[in-house]
Amino acid sequence: MHKTPLLDQLESGPYPSFVKDLKRLAAKKPQVNDLLGQLERSYKEKITHWKHGGIVGVLGYGSGIIGRYSDLPDEFPGLEHFHTMRINHPSGWFYTTQAIREVCDIWDQYGSGILNMHGATGDLVLLGTTTDNLEPCFQALAHKGWDIGGSGSAMRSPSCCVGPARCEWAMFDTLEACYECTQHFQFDLHRPSFPYKYKLKFSGCPNDCVAAVARADQSHIGVWRDDIKIDQSAVKAYDGGELKPRGGATPYAKLDVKADVVDLCPTGCMSWDGKTLKIDNKNCNHCMHCINMMPQALKPGSERGVTILMGSHAPILEGAQMSWVIVPFMEVEPPFDNIKELTERIIEWWAENGKNRERVGELILRLGMRTFLEAVGLPPVPQSVIRPRANPFFYWKQEDFDAEAAGKKYYTTK
Amino acid sequence: MALAKAELVEYLYKMVEAAQGKKQLKAMDLQKAVLKEHPDQDKNMIKMAIKELIDSGRCVYTYFGGSFIEIPHVEGAAKH
Amino acid sequence: MAERITDIGPPHYGKFLSPVIKENYGKWVSHEIIEPGILKHVAESGAEIYSVRVASPRILTTLQARDICEVADKYCGGYLRFTSRHNFELLVSDKAKLEPLKAELAKRGMPKGGTGHSITNIVHTQGWIHCHTPAIDASGVVKSVMDDLFEYFGSHRLPAQVRISLACCLNMCGAVHCSDIAILGVHRTPPKVNHDRLRHLCEIPTTISACPTGAIRPHPDKSLKSVTVNEERCMYCGNCYTMCPAMPLFDPKKGGVALLVGGKVSNAKSPPMFSRLAVPWIPNNPPRWPEVVQTIRKILIKYAEGANKYERVAEWIERIGWEKFFEVCDIPFTYQHIDDYKWAYDTYRTSMHFKF
Repeated sequence: MHKTPLLDQLESGPYPSFVKDLKRLAAKKPQVNDLLGQLERSYKEKITHWKHGGIVGVLGYGSGIIGRYSDLPDEFPGLEHFHTMRINHPSGWFYTTQAIREVCDIWDQYGSGILNMHGATGDLVLLGTTTDNLEPCFQALAHKGWDIGGSGSAMRSPSCCVGPARCEWAMFDTLEACYECTQHFQFDLHRPSFPYKYKLKFSGCPNDCVAAVARADQSHIGVWRDDIKIDQSAVKAYDGGELKPRGGATPYAKLDVKADVVDLCPTGCMSWDGKTLKIDNKNCNHCMHCINMMPQALKPGSERGVTILMGSHAPILEGAQMSWVIVPFMEVEPPFDNIKELTERIIEWWAENGKNRERVGELILRLGMRTFLEAVGLPPVPQSVIRPRANPFFYWKQEDFDAEAAGKKYYTTK
Repeated sequence: MALAKAELVEYLYKMVEAAQGKKQLKAMDLQKAVLKEHPDQDKNMIKMAIKELIDSGRCVYTYFGGSFIEIPHVEGAAKH
Repeated sequence: MAERITDIGPPHYGKFLSPVIKENYGKWVSHEIIEPGILKHVAESGAEIYSVRVASPRILTTLQARDICEVADKYCGGYLRFTSRHNFELLVSDKAKLEPLKAELAKRGMPKGGTGHSITNIVHTQGWIHCHTPAIDASGVVKSVMDDLFEYFGSHRLPAQVRISLACCLNMCGAVHCSDIAILGVHRTPPKVNHDRLRHLCEIPTTISACPTGAIRPHPDKSLKSVTVNEERCMYCGNCYTMCPAMPLFDPKKGGVALLVGGKVSNAKSPPMFSRLAVPWIPNNPPRWPEVVQTIRKILIKYAEGANKYERVAEWIERIGWEKFFEVCDIPFTYQHIDDYKWAYDTYRTSMHFKF
């Protein structure tokens, strides 16, 4: 066993220790011992010892395998090849122990036995195998019902929140939408032919538990557009202290309905006179605060759908973006054909116009929202901006004049 | 005039071969190049022809900050 | 060899749902958190499910995964799930099993928590365990910070939830840019070009176009078939290194940690917000990164003391003003804090609404 005096210091402390766990496996797997040895070296030298590969994969696919090579293969021969396999996770990250054990059996046979539950995009990540083992490992997994996830300039494995499986706030079936879209885009998930990555995420409500607004090129967030349902007796129970604020999630014993709910409402559309809670639903911006605070008293309305937002990505290259609204409300139901069709139109436009490594959000900014909206057939809607432009540099196209001549107020694609 | 599938596969392969070591081509670069010469070529057929090239092992997808289509070669990083 | 299978996609989640979840799918009516780490959901039918949320370091061996399975078999009929922040949840349908499960988790050193107004698991990246561009490790920093803040994992004592994330370089696989506290590995040296390797490994036009600031140019000596870097324009994103491995930018002394604060994703009360630069550089100090740990604790304590009820870090700072944030947390304000990248103007103050 390699000596790891620095890493050993991470074995103590109350939070689960990855070093302790890896050491258990290092006793059985020489490559894990080498991994600890190389990691110790990084801790000493404060530098990484991995090289990026760009060619390895399984036959037919260009996605899901990340080539990794140690730059110290003579000292750590177990790491000469140490590739990552991304395995497309099930919607909502639900598993049975049988399924996890099947994956573990295969990974013990063909790989290092190290996994990530889960990677940043959502995949079940298998860390560390050789080039020769990629194909047999893939096929062993495939025969148990698993497939490889996305990487590179491709559709990435879509992900979603826990949704209707265990949450009363899911405004649509996030798990089925995620599954349906994953299946629909299989070709593009495995065969990278886009300008860059494309991520789909599905959150059931504006609490956005999978960070769709920050981490998906195309974000789907559940929303309602009618009235919040109020159980007045339950509101009284919160007011009286019988029910705890936020279902018990807070350090506070009692909810002050006026101070903690009504006064914190961002639109000021609520009132409470000590007996009745009133909501001016026309002015509600469905932020979820009041519902979060009083989950037993308030429920989202019944007219439910999704808001589609576009364009988020991490800072590379133009600076980070969050997704912005392009469709304020879309009714959806399995098999989610309207989401799939819109996604296809967007991707076709982006694939045609995007440069290498240009995310769709960056392309929209480069070519303009109008170009984008017209290309995918969406009308301009005020919900897509916080405020309109302040500068006077707006353009007119022939279509606008034609519409004007035809007696329409303005030109729109719909 | 549109190419038949087998011809299209060869056409694509030659393009990748000619670019090898000079310019990394993306799937969309291939499609655009085909459509420039053969505007009536069916896009889906181009997609399937690329799939055939990859499935046969004559070309592979690579990733160097973006995904490209290349003739298989030795991985630079794999060498000591 | 059996028939080759491709393009099947992931298994349908329906195969992995417990009977209670299947029967009450889409019919949940409310929830409460009966104690830190344990959620109770109630369905229209009156059915209940208890989710016991447990910390995980994200990186697991198959040994640990099998241990988790053993617990799930014993107490929840083999049904479990993982969360978007890498915790796992044991889905218990028999309330009587909660107490023995808690005892078993405690015995195995698997802490429950991460619910409500807590600090839950840190979303993070690979770091030195598996990545080719990191400035810092990921798992070790996470372990060090979570050990220090452990009292907040299994309790609900903060004004609101605090989401910490870590990305080991500014490519941000971890997409940490909307976190209450973001830990970010940063390089501070321009890439060193290895002309001999570059000639063989990299394509020059792609390498040049990789640079977001246009700092890379063809080398004036054409016979070299290489590039040069205008070091003054480089902001160390490492984008060129991803495209061209002959341009490493690692520096053990200059690399380090930046902290960004005040981001959020949820829409509750205030809209989603980006995290913003609090501390531009802290030394990269393995194995326990004490300076990073102490700075995060300091910010967290000041937030806990200063925030109103239900106020997220972002909402607290926006209310008191960033100038007050730097004062309260005793963090020096530097040139690095003033944006000079794209859209910088959005962050300049154009009013008299500031505090001394």
